[in-house]
Amino acid sequence: MTQLENIKDLWKQQETENIRYSKNELQGMMVQRSSSVVKWILIISILEFILPNIIFLVTDFEASREFNEKYGLTNMVNVYLGIHIMIILGFIYVFYRNYRNISVDTSVKMLMHHIITTRKTVKYYIYYNLTIAAVIGFHMFYEVFNSKAFLSTLPEKTNLALIWIISSVLFVLVLVLLWGIYKLVFGFFLKKLNRNYQELEQVE
Amino acid sequence: MTKDLETKFLSELDKHQNIIHKVCRTYTNNDAAHKDLFQEITIQLWNAYPKFRGDSKFSTWMYRVSFNTAISLYRKTKRNIETTPLIENKVDFEYSEYNDKKDRQLDLLYKAIHSLNDIEKALALMYLEDKSYEEIASTLGITEINARVKMNRTKTKLKNILNP
Repeated sequence: MTQLENIKDLWKQQETENIRYSKNELQGMMVQRSSSVVKWILIISILEFILPNIIFLVTDFEASREFNEKYGLTNMVNVYLGIHIMIILGFIYVFYRNYRNISVDTSVKMLMHHIITTRKTVKYYIYYNLTIAAVIGFHMFYEVFNSKAFLSTLPEKTNLALIWIISSVLFVLVLVLLWGIYKLVFGFFLKKLNRNYQELEQVE
Repeated sequence: MTKDLETKFLSELDKHQNIIHKVCRTYTNNDAAHKDLFQEITIQLWNAYPKFRGDSKFSTWMYRVSFNTAISLYRKTKRNIETTPLIENKVDFEYSEYNDKKDRQLDLLYKAIHSLNDIEKALALMYLEDKSYEEIASTLGITEINARVKMNRTKTKLKNILNP
């Protein structure tokens, strides 16, 4: 390794040759806004917390109440809504706690670990939303398809099984599409971080 | 009080700015990206400074924040290179016709470092800065044994790039 020792000498001589910023320039930099990944993670995560539930904000409450009553879904929807809100609050609490743990003066590995854990909270939140959408969706299909209010509107020779299959396939396709989009966003942010984390984890 | 803190921080930052320049030159390959990363590291240092208790030296703490920013927080597509192979021919540290031999050699050394992955870059830089294995291990958050193994691998890799 003698050649590497020579390099060390060369390395040390660069001290005086480097560019230097004046104190004024440094002071100017201190007050700039950060463009760090963590800031983006926070923004994206908040959007992800809001987006799956944005449907509630644009819902015509009166129309959906009437729909629920017509097909006898009111109790079911209220129970799901109660559970859903509790679970969302739980996720937000865990996310906030993990986010607070992100600190730039911990070790390189620890920082990566905290960022990855924080993002994982959001990942599980998205998976939860897709799952609950599937559960509620199929439950509603089931209730509606079995309600007299719906059956009485159908022509006599309707193939119920076919309607079931088509609705289910369309619904699953939408879920898969959402999941795919999410995987892309998630991968985009964490690819480099995961790779570096693996590199540190790896013990020869 | 804030003004005092700012003055103190600015004076430490100015005194040790060389460290940040080395980290920036290690993780970027053009002037614009260098300045961009330097600024991000400065912002991160200043944000974290109120919590700096002086348990470690300012320079040690600075390394840690700088590496964390360069490796995990900084994200600009224009910045890097990732692991581009060294296109230059054999890097000759013994002979050169150039007057600015040292500059050229230093350029080649940085090019070699650029072809390492992010973690190896940090290891190479800490090796060149004569950091102890204890400090390297605690900066990266791995055991000292693991740090030694990874360092040996990085040194061999660097040597092979410089002297194929």
